[in-house]
Amino acid sequence: MSTAEGLRLPTTRGDWRLMGRTVRLVLTLPVYAAVAAIAALVSLTLFVVSLNVPLVLDLVVGGSLPLASRLRVLGELYPFIGTSFNPAQGVLLVVVAVLTGVDIGLATYHFREHGLDLQQGGAGVAGVVLGTLGAGCAACGSAVLLGLLSLLGVSTSLLFLPLDGLEFALLALAVLTLSIYWLAEGMRGGEINGCPVDL
Amino acid sequence: MNRRRFLTLSGAGVVGAVAGCSSDADTGESIDDHPAAADLEAQPRRGELGGHVVLAFEDPSCPTCRRFHENTLPDIRENIVDTGKGAYVVRTYPVIYPWGEPATQALESTFARDSEAYWSLFDHYFAEQSSFDPDNVLERTATFLTDETEVDGEAVASDARNRAHDDAVQADIRAAEDAGLGETTPIILLFEDGEFVTKVNGSVSYELIAEALGERDG
Repeated sequence: MSTAEGLRLPTTRGDWRLMGRTVRLVLTLPVYAAVAAIAALVSLTLFVVSLNVPLVLDLVVGGSLPLASRLRVLGELYPFIGTSFNPAQGVLLVVVAVLTGVDIGLATYHFREHGLDLQQGGAGVAGVVLGTLGAGCAACGSAVLLGLLSLLGVSTSLLFLPLDGLEFALLALAVLTLSIYWLAEGMRGGEINGCPVDL
Repeated sequence: MNRRRFLTLSGAGVVGAVAGCSSDADTGESIDDHPAAADLEAQPRRGELGGHVVLAFEDPSCPTCRRFHENTLPDIRENIVDTGKGAYVVRTYPVIYPWGEPATQALESTFARDSEAYWSLFDHYFAEQSSFDPDNVLERTATFLTDETEVDGEAVASDARNRAHDDAVQADIRAAEDAGLGETTPIILLFEDGEFVTKVNGSVSYELIAEALGERDG
């Protein structure tokens, strides 16, 4: 573990092994595995629906389409089912959603067993927000990011974003990884389902 | 307040809040009254007006528009345009990369001369998208038009530099703004036999569009 002005970052192999072991132990509990799976699905749905709220309200929630058509319209918004995302964008969004699910599963376990501190909870929320922004930018090119940068006075005419806005999703990956690490750190020294967290 | 009453009121509040944020108030609105479709007959289109209309706001510099253009548009043409069921109409909306703005000027200047050359240039922008920047776009546009179409490429580039057809460019931007479409391109508005159905963002599939327009087989 390294410490930079009080901010702990996963820098050693031991840190990553701690994260892996903690995640594995928590997700072997069926309740928390279910929480993680549901949270992953909900967050992926949040990412894709946030791009097309009017469509979902007009055709999936409202409108007069039969149920099967409503479900097909909704399904077409997801990566690898519809065509809204290219394969790289789809993989990144699914990974962000899975990490969000794992993060929420761990946070739920930690909250119920030990309580949760502000840093761990805040990082999880930040990860979800950045993941949603990543989904948004995957669709719009880089408009949101370019707008933010121009507000900060960065020249956008020379800017080239190789991932067309998926930079937000990569940032979400980093934030979610940190959140999971901080949760694992918070559980160090304890037991999960009778097994010691420390190696 | 008991728990059931609390949950009922909370649920109603959430649904109300979501409904209040939505833009579905104009579902069913006639295409003749929809601000995004202002001056529709003057816009570049494939197919005839009168049936379904797929109205797309696209930026030639937008990678997602390129994927929509390459993956979904062929199915729209095959199943809606070529069958006489409706039209695909495009309005340019330069909001992504800076070279999209001069490219849009060039597209309108080309359309004013020759509609087929317009579609060729649109295809060219998407096909070679990664090679354009604000400094080379008009030069490359002139070369393409002169080599591949009947249009005088240098005249188009000159018009684009002088914004000779800026009225048409601004009309498209104003239509998007008046309709409150935002800037997440491509923005696709679907009209079923003259009535607004919904607005879609992104490179959505033809299957989704077909479901929305009631054209899904089976």
